[in-house]
Amino acid sequence: MGISPIQYRPWKGERTALNLRVYVILKSIFRHGLKSTGVKILLILAFLFVYAFQFVSVLLFGHETLDAGEMSSNFNAFGLALFAILLTAVITSDLISEDLSSKSFVLYFSRAIKTRDYLVGKAGGAILIMSLLCFLPPVLLAVVSILTQSGSDYWSSIKVLGSTVVAGVFVTVFFVPYGLMLSSLTKRRSYAAVGTFMSFFVLTIISGAFSEFDSAWRVISPAESLSYAVDWIFGQSLPSYINEGALFAFLASFIIVPALVLYWRVQRQAVGK
Amino acid sequence: MSAAVDDVGQQTPVREPAHEDGPPGIGSYLFSARDLTVSFGPVIALDGFSVDIPRGIVGLLGPNGAGKSTFIKASLGLVTPKKGAIFVGGLDSRTQSLQIRDGVGYMPEHDCLVPSMNAVELVSYFGLISGMMTRDSMQRSHEVLDFVGVGEERYRQIKSYSTGMKQKVKLAQAIVHDPPLLFLDEPTSGMDPQGREEMLELVRMIGSSDKTVLVSSHILQEVELVCDYIVIISNGKLVQEGETKTLVAGEEGVQSLTIRGDEGSLTRFVRMLGEACEIMEAKEEGGKQMTLLIRGCRDGSRIFGLARDSGVQIRRYQPERLDLEEVFLRSFRGGGKDGN
Repeated sequence: MGISPIQYRPWKGERTALNLRVYVILKSIFRHGLKSTGVKILLILAFLFVYAFQFVSVLLFGHETLDAGEMSSNFNAFGLALFAILLTAVITSDLISEDLSSKSFVLYFSRAIKTRDYLVGKAGGAILIMSLLCFLPPVLLAVVSILTQSGSDYWSSIKVLGSTVVAGVFVTVFFVPYGLMLSSLTKRRSYAAVGTFMSFFVLTIISGAFSEFDSAWRVISPAESLSYAVDWIFGQSLPSYINEGALFAFLASFIIVPALVLYWRVQRQAVGK
Repeated sequence: MSAAVDDVGQQTPVREPAHEDGPPGIGSYLFSARDLTVSFGPVIALDGFSVDIPRGIVGLLGPNGAGKSTFIKASLGLVTPKKGAIFVGGLDSRTQSLQIRDGVGYMPEHDCLVPSMNAVELVSYFGLISGMMTRDSMQRSHEVLDFVGVGEERYRQIKSYSTGMKQKVKLAQAIVHDPPLLFLDEPTSGMDPQGREEMLELVRMIGSSDKTVLVSSHILQEVELVCDYIVIISNGKLVQEGETKTLVAGEEGVQSLTIRGDEGSLTRFVRMLGEACEIMEAKEEGGKQMTLLIRGCRDGSRIFGLARDSGVQIRRYQPERLDLEEVFLRSFRGGGKDGN
């Protein structure tokens, strides 16, 4: 131990409340994500491809109010979904897989952290980054549109702003459980990232192939179903070939099933199975 | 504590509850397990395990699969007992697991460090998760890294660390929030002799600062060196427990005798000795030497007389003193320290 070993010194500071510790995980993921060059590039590209034109047109061309149909179209859910899945693949792929490969679960769960807290922290961090793409720009677009409207019917515009907020939250959250689930199924970040994107791609291909025979198959394409859901949130009518029940069942299963699998996987890790 | 033999012929300690007047786990005992049964499907990991573990540095010994890790997990509330309960510092692991975990530091045996982080980031991050404020956790992480002896390397990514350094970082993350209870699972695993000595010294220093340290290890000499109290566990049952000095002291009245001579003389001596006292154990060492464990020979001069008559030399004759390895092996032969 050397000539003069450093003695153990107790620590006398104060500890935060148990339920606040989830924010440490959330904050760490958010900061780590924003440091990534890949994430920054994706966010910039997505903004340029999905929203830049809409911002320019809102600013340049006059409009009386914020119209739901127009906002639904400006929301560009289909294009947004393509970038959202890419961003999900980049940010969620290592969130659980890295803990799996390093076996660092045990360091979390030997502390006052529940499985739920761990998942809320991880998902919360990812959702916060996703919101920079899926929530902030459309809401900002709606606000800019309201601020530059020529008409005085602000009440109807604010209602559309409300719908934009709901649609933004929905699109932000939509892919995260799926990405986290795939991350929890492998120890390799690359497998999780490719798996997330490829499963999206495969579902889109299957949907495209079968919709040649029956357009109702379009609902199994995540981008299309997301686009229909956004239209529905804005109060737009869905195409006649889309069964609302099937659409919402698909959307719900895309969120709920991965969330359940994710919880089960992490719970098993928590007890060391 | 007395002992009973169960239906598979294994000796199971039978004990009276240590805390009849108050909640278990309070007072001189930190841990109290009562009839703890944990199973994973058909596998019974802990089988009616009962133990009282005092404060101080405690060694948890047992072969692989004995139930040591399950005991630690059950203490942390990570596995739910099928039957029985564990109380840690008076808290019930079934209902107050978060409060228990809040006061625990855990150093796992296996690799568990995030390779892409450096030591400062990792230790301060887990300090934050343990409820420290940002400034405190950063300051404290440097303090504990100094304590465990990780120098400037603390700014390098963990994936470049040697096994010994990783062990030290694992210890640092376990003590960053200054928990009153520490679980150290194989703390010297993979370390060189100097690293082991340093780690044991660290454990001693932590233990001397009013902490309870539960050390699970296979290296019995190390456990014997640092632990005040030993718990031996096998097949999910308590096999032996007690203060280290008591366990290794050997039974009163038991002597160890080493003799040397030709085969005939040795046989004759052992026969005559067997008539004079109880021979508990006889080990032949290369045909010309034997070590005997004897009981009931109060008169040493009689033994020397028998040796003279048989033509054997007495090389060593002293009260029995065990090392922990012997205690451990005897426990698994189905006996306590007296070898029965």
